[in-house]
Amino acid sequence: MIIHLAIKSLLNRKLTIALTIISLMLSISLFLSIDTLRLGAKKSFFGNVKSGDLILGSRSGEIQLLLYSLFQIGSPTNNISWESYKDFAEHSEVSWTIPISLGDSHKQFRVLGTNNQYFRYFNYRNKKQLEFENGEKLNDMFDVVIGSDVAKTLNYRLNDSIVIAHGISSQSLHDEFPFKVKGILKKTGTSTDRLVIVSLEALEIIHKDWKTGSRIPSVKKTNIELEKEDLKPKEITAAIIKIKSPIKIFKIQREINDYEKESLQAVIPGIALSKLWEIVSITENIMLSITTMVIVSSLIGLIAILYSTLSNRRKEMALLRIVGASPKNIFSLLLMEALIISICSIVASILLTQLLSIIVFPILDQKFGIYLEYKFISIKDFYFLMVVLFTSVVVSIFPALQAYKNSINDGI
Amino acid sequence: MSITNNILEVNNLLFKWRKTNNFKLKINKLAIKKKKRVILLGASGSGKSTLLNLISGILEPNKGIIKINDTCITALSSKQKDLFRTENLGVIFQQFNIIEYLSPITNILLPCYFSLFKNKKISFYRERAADLGKKLGIEKDVLFQKKAKNLSVGQQQRIAIIRALINFPKIILADEPTSALDYKNKEKFLNLLFDMCEQENISIFMVSHDNLITKYFDDVLLLEKINEAS
Repeated sequence: MIIHLAIKSLLNRKLTIALTIISLMLSISLFLSIDTLRLGAKKSFFGNVKSGDLILGSRSGEIQLLLYSLFQIGSPTNNISWESYKDFAEHSEVSWTIPISLGDSHKQFRVLGTNNQYFRYFNYRNKKQLEFENGEKLNDMFDVVIGSDVAKTLNYRLNDSIVIAHGISSQSLHDEFPFKVKGILKKTGTSTDRLVIVSLEALEIIHKDWKTGSRIPSVKKTNIELEKEDLKPKEITAAIIKIKSPIKIFKIQREINDYEKESLQAVIPGIALSKLWEIVSITENIMLSITTMVIVSSLIGLIAILYSTLSNRRKEMALLRIVGASPKNIFSLLLMEALIISICSIVASILLTQLLSIIVFPILDQKFGIYLEYKFISIKDFYFLMVVLFTSVVVSIFPALQAYKNSINDGI
Repeated sequence: MSITNNILEVNNLLFKWRKTNNFKLKINKLAIKKKKRVILLGASGSGKSTLLNLISGILEPNKGIIKINDTCITALSSKQKDLFRTENLGVIFQQFNIIEYLSPITNILLPCYFSLFKNKKISFYRERAADLGKKLGIEKDVLFQKKAKNLSVGQQQRIAIIRALINFPKIILADEPTSALDYKNKEKFLNLLFDMCEQENISIFMVSHDNLITKYFDDVLLLEKINEAS
């Protein structure tokens, strides 16, 4: 009966109640979306650092090395020699390595020189491996594998011919050496999606006629005999290293940092990224506290609505009392109204965020490279919603108590 | 305790508002016999409604005993009082007899909801409401329309009578139910109410400041006289 009364009474005040529900719904949705974004961005970032235990590079900032080697953000300061790389690649404690060579580009995308180890060992998120949407790994000298975003944006298909440009934003093309698209990777939600992957040897060849950024006129493709050339790379930018036993990670790291032939550096990607994330998390916390305040203000709006109707409803309450309602019934009527309002708001905000995620996630992915996995409500979201529900009921106790007191003293 | 012939008895009643004003109600003796129609006259603010609230058990007296149908309601717990009220009293007000956002039938059945239908089916009370409606000239479709908002004042008053009667009360308390009506409608309203109460053997205790209607009642009391504090 109380539920029936509460529903009817709320329906009688459609406009104010609808506005209250909308205000609560928006603030809850805001919190949920910001939290999803925050976790999504974090997951998306940390998803990139799942392969390997160490990143080997030339000595520079930890975060810098991490950003250019794994995220292709910023430029490498220096390369490391192939010999130094080999020393550690063949180290007895090392299980596998992925060499990485950066510096060239294709349109707006970076070119990554590596070998087929990349496709075998690169891991992201929960031990996921790279998979091919079409085609396969690098087999021939001028094969190229492209990430899904590259394929999508530039509308490339298998066997399309592409030309690599020298440098990151250069007009000079390595046009004597066209590459053929041999593989297109499946979407990963990591920076791999925006990579053009070629072999280290190919990079070596196309740079034969180049010396520190400018072309040597005498060297031409026609002069290069592929079979006779020494295609062993001279330098790489960085390498991802997997250590056989996790307890040896710090030992190898120290060995790299103390390497005498060349000044090298090894970073543990997870730790370096956490350091970076500490800086980002300040913004995170500010955003979360702002949304919390928005929710608090909506809840205050809810009590304000309940309070403001109390004086108008004194006669209604008195009538209910005279036909047999106890003060407790009046109390629960008001609480029930608050409960219905917050349940409606919560359900509406779930619907809204679900709808938003269907519409907005692909846009975020395309425009910002933040890949969010579609999910229904997470356990954490569920707890959060329960806290909102509980809080709204708790704060509604005040107006309900007022109604209770009124109904004891108010008669006909 | 001997069974008396009184439906309502008030003994040594004292009531003071807790707050500032020094209004007091002190009634040594007030008794209404079964099946009688009694009107209590008093000016506005003389405590008529307060007395009704005390009798219906909404307000608690500082002292004294109130008995309805031989049950001493002043000795009941507040929960028991609430239940007793729905099961034994019918109340009609001057205004605001209905909750507009509920249907007329829900308004009528409100006391039954709170007395949990006394183990009868809801359909029993619906039929009784329709039956009473018929006697009071309220069509079924008026009774079962969605909202009570569109009812005329006359219809609202009759809905109030049906609600007061629905739960087979022993006595009906009425708080100036006629003051909003013109003379002709007053007579009509009182006739309807009295007819119904006579058919169902129900006593009536009405408070009013309107001494033109006293002729319809078996007994006329003056609050100024019975309230010793005035």
